[in-house]
Amino acid sequence: MLRQDHYKTSVYKTPFHERTSELNILNEWSRWKDYTVPTSYFRTDLEYFSVRNTTGVIDYTPMVKQKITGPDAAEFVNRFFTRDMNKIGIGRVGYVVWCDEAGQVIDDGTVFHIRENEYWLLCVERQLDNLENSAIGFDVKIEEITDDIACLGIQGPTSCSILKAIGFEGIEHLKPFDIKHYDFRGHEIIISRTGFSGDLGYEACMVNDAALDFWDALFDKGKIYGIQPFGLDALDLVRIEAGLLVPGHDFMVAEDAIRPGSTRSPFELGLSWLVDLSKPVFNGREALLEEKKKGSRYTFVKLNINGNKPAEGAYLYNQSGKKIGNVTSAMFSPSAKANIAYASLHDPWKKGKDKIIAEIYYQKDLEWNKVMEEATIVTKPFFDPDRRKTTPAELY
Amino acid sequence: MTRKNRNVAIIGGGHNSLVSAAYLAKAGFNVELFEARSEVGGMASTKELIDGYKVPGVAHLLHQTDGKIHKSLQLNKHGLTFAASGLKTISINPNGNALIFDDDTVSGDDITMKEQEQYKEFRQTMKKLSGFFKKSYQAAPPRLGSEETKDMTSLMSLGWNLRSMGKDSMRQMLKYIAVNIHDVLNEFIDHEHMKGSIALDALLGNRLGPRTNNSVITFLHQLTGDPNGVQGSYAIPEGGMSSYSQALQKAAESAGVKIHTNSPVKQIDLNEENTIRGLVLESGETVNADIVVSGIDPRSTFMCLVGPKNLESHYVHKVSNIRMRGNTSKLHLALSGLPKFKGVDSDDLGHRIIHAPSMKYLELAHDHTKYGECSNQLPMEIIIPSIHDKSLAPKGHHVLSAVVNNTAYELKDGWDQSNSAVLESCLNQLEEMAPGIKKLVVHAELLSPKDIEDEYGITGGHWHHGELTFDQFLMLRPIPGMAQYKTPIESLYLCGAGSHPGGGLMGLAGRNAANEIISKES
Repeated sequence: MLRQDHYKTSVYKTPFHERTSELNILNEWSRWKDYTVPTSYFRTDLEYFSVRNTTGVIDYTPMVKQKITGPDAAEFVNRFFTRDMNKIGIGRVGYVVWCDEAGQVIDDGTVFHIRENEYWLLCVERQLDNLENSAIGFDVKIEEITDDIACLGIQGPTSCSILKAIGFEGIEHLKPFDIKHYDFRGHEIIISRTGFSGDLGYEACMVNDAALDFWDALFDKGKIYGIQPFGLDALDLVRIEAGLLVPGHDFMVAEDAIRPGSTRSPFELGLSWLVDLSKPVFNGREALLEEKKKGSRYTFVKLNINGNKPAEGAYLYNQSGKKIGNVTSAMFSPSAKANIAYASLHDPWKKGKDKIIAEIYYQKDLEWNKVMEEATIVTKPFFDPDRRKTTPAELY
Repeated sequence: MTRKNRNVAIIGGGHNSLVSAAYLAKAGFNVELFEARSEVGGMASTKELIDGYKVPGVAHLLHQTDGKIHKSLQLNKHGLTFAASGLKTISINPNGNALIFDDDTVSGDDITMKEQEQYKEFRQTMKKLSGFFKKSYQAAPPRLGSEETKDMTSLMSLGWNLRSMGKDSMRQMLKYIAVNIHDVLNEFIDHEHMKGSIALDALLGNRLGPRTNNSVITFLHQLTGDPNGVQGSYAIPEGGMSSYSQALQKAAESAGVKIHTNSPVKQIDLNEENTIRGLVLESGETVNADIVVSGIDPRSTFMCLVGPKNLESHYVHKVSNIRMRGNTSKLHLALSGLPKFKGVDSDDLGHRIIHAPSMKYLELAHDHTKYGECSNQLPMEIIIPSIHDKSLAPKGHHVLSAVVNNTAYELKDGWDQSNSAVLESCLNQLEEMAPGIKKLVVHAELLSPKDIEDEYGITGGHWHHGELTFDQFLMLRPIPGMAQYKTPIESLYLCGAGSHPGGGLMGLAGRNAANEIISKES
C-alpha cells in the first residue's frame, strides 16, 4: 500500500534514514519522488572511489516499485515490455523499456521475476496507471509497493565479501541478473546481482522492519572491506561510466514531453536489443515496425571527447558548423581516464562521414570560456571490469 | 492470389454484414457469413410477439437507406417493395392538437403561415447541410497525417465538399455543426410543439437531450437517407422489416455468399504471428479464412472475439472507452383493435406518430437519463405496422411498435427490477394519448437496451454500435486508427455501424468496408 500521509510530512524518511542522516556530514539532501535521500555524504569524489575500489552503499528505497501477480503475469509483462520476457526466467532480472502507442519510450527499469506468476518492476516514474490500463483482459493484480519495501544498492569490488561475511551463503554463486531469496533474522531479503555501477554489485530488497538491522550488519561486517555510503551525485558518475540511461536526463519520459520530437523510441536510444519485433504483440509494436521501415530520427551514441572539460549539455556540430545533436550526460571519467559523454545525434549528421565537434563551456576563475573539441564515437562500455561478470564472484 | 480463392468470413448477419458480403462476393471473393441467430437481419427483422402477432424486431421504419446501394444490389429484383412510403409524421399533443409533417410542409395545431414558412426554411437548410454528410458517407474517411495519395485526395474531397456547398451553407455548417438542436431550432422556429417534434429526430436512438451539444450532427445524420428516392422520408417494406433483410440476403446469396445461421462465433482465430487463421464457432467448428470481416460492434469484436491480450493496450483502452450505452427501448403491443389517438384522424393511423410535445419535455426526460432514472414522460415514435401488412396480426387485431427514448441502459435499479414498472408507465402514457388503448392490449413487452444487448449481442444495446458524436465521427469512428475499416490485426476488418458513417439501416458502413477490402486485398 502507498502511504497516504504525505500531506503531513512533505517528504518521507526512508527506513534507513536514522543511519543515513547520522552519516550525512554535509547534510545535503535531495527529494526523490516522495522521499528525501542524501545528495552527497562527505565528498562526492571519495564516495565515487569507494564504489570503484571497495564498496559503496546507496539507499534507493524511493525507486518506484510495482508488483504484478496473477496467473496471467507472464503474458502481461510480455505484452507490456518491448523485449521477449519469456527469456527472463524465475529468479532472473531483466533490463526493460516500455513504450506508448507511438513507440516512444515511457521509462526504463528492471523487472525482477521474483517467483512463478510474480514480477516486480523497479523504475523511476510511477507506472500504476499505465500498468492498470494495460491490464484489461489479463488476470493480474497490480500493486505499488514502493513504501513497503526498503532497498539498498551494495556496489563495488568487495561487495560480495561483505554479504558473505554477514552470512548470505552461496552469494558468490549468483550470476549477473540472478535473484536469491534469503532469510535474515526472520525476514525475507531478496538479493540480486544487479546495480547501477557497472561493477560487481548487489541490490537488496527487504521489508521496512528489516532495514536497520540489515544496514547495521552491513556496516559492521563491511568496515574492514572499506564500506562507505554514497549519495545521488556519486551515483550519477558511476552510472554514466556503466552506460546506463536515466529518464528525464538522457531521454524525455514520453508522457512528460511537451514538444513533439522531444521523445525517443528505443531504437533512437541505442536500445534495439531490447525490442523483439518478432513478438506478435506488445505496446508500441505497430509504431516501431513503422519506424523500422521509415528510419529513425535520432541516433544515440557514446562519445570520447578530446580534452578534459566535461561536455554537460553541449551542442554538437559537424565540420560545416551545422548543429547535429546534443550531449545528454557527460563527465570526466576517472576510471576510463577519458572525457566521456552520451549524445543524441540527428540530421544532417552522416555516420562515418561527419565529424562530431562539441561546444563546451567551462568556468575558470569566475570567467566562462568556450572550447570546440572533437569527439569520437565509442561502441564499447566506458567501464567494464571482468569482475562484473565473473562467477563465482571474486572475494577479497 | 486472385480474389476467387481468397476466403472471407463475415461475422454477424445484420444489414451491414449482408451488404458487405454481397459487394465482396460480387467482386469475386469467396464469402461465407456466420449469424448467431436463426435468421439474418439482426435488428432489422420481424419477430413473433405471441402466437399470431408479429412485430418488427427493433427497427420499424426505413429512413436512412442509401439509394445507390438499393440500386446496385438490385434490391427491387430481390423482393424489396414498399408497403408504404413517404409517410407523414403526426406529432400528437395531450390537448388533442396534432401537428402533421409531410416532407417540407407542416399543418395543424393552430400553425400560422409564418410558422409554416419557418419550417420550410429550416427543413431545406438542414437538407442542404446533410448533403455534406451524405457525400462524406460514401467512402472511407481519410487517415489524418497520412501521406498516401488516397488519404490526401479523400481529405481534399472532404474539404471540397464543404467548400462546394457555397459560402452561406458553409457558414451555416460551421455555425451549427458543434452546437445543439435546441439553439438552432430556436433560431428558426417559434412554435414550441413543432420544435419538440423536430428535436425528437435528433435524439432517437441516441443519448442526448435537445440542449446537448452534438445534437445537430445526429439530426443531420438521420436526414441523409433517401428511401424510395425521397430524402429524409420514411417507408415501411412490404412484408415487414424482415423482407428488407431478406432482400439483402437474396442479393448476397445470388452473388455467391454462403450464409450460415445458428452459427455464433466464439473467437477470431489467430496464428502465432497474430495474423488471421479464420474463425472458431461456438460449436467448436473451425473455419479457415484469409480475411475476416466483423459486422458486430467494435467492442465485442475486440474484447470478446480477438481478445485484449492480442492487441496493444492503447487499442484495448480506446475500444473499452467507446461511448455505447444504449438509451432506447422498444415497446411492442398486441392489440384487439385499432386504437384512437387524440387528434389523429383514423385514416392517418398508418403514419409515423410521435410524442414530443416540446423541447422542454425532451430535455426533462434526458435529465432523468443522466442520473440513471427513467422519467414518467418519455418521448416515443409509434407505428402500427399491421395497418400496412395484414399478415402481422389476426383479422381485426393489430400490433403497435414504439421506439421509447430516454430509457438508460444503466438504470439505477437495474432493468430486471424496473422493466415491468417502465412498461406500465409507457402504457399509462399511451393511455393519455390514446384513451382506451390499455383495454385493447392483448400482450405487451418492453425490450430495454439490456434486452437488446442480450438478444442482438450489441454492447450496451446501442443502435449505432457507439454514440454518434463528434468525437466518434468520421475519421474518429470507432476510434482513431481504425476508421478506415482496417484494424491492427492484418486482414481483419470492421463493417458494422460502429464504423463510419454509423447506424440507421444505411448499409454504407458495409459497402464502404467492402470497397476498402477490395482495394487492399486484391
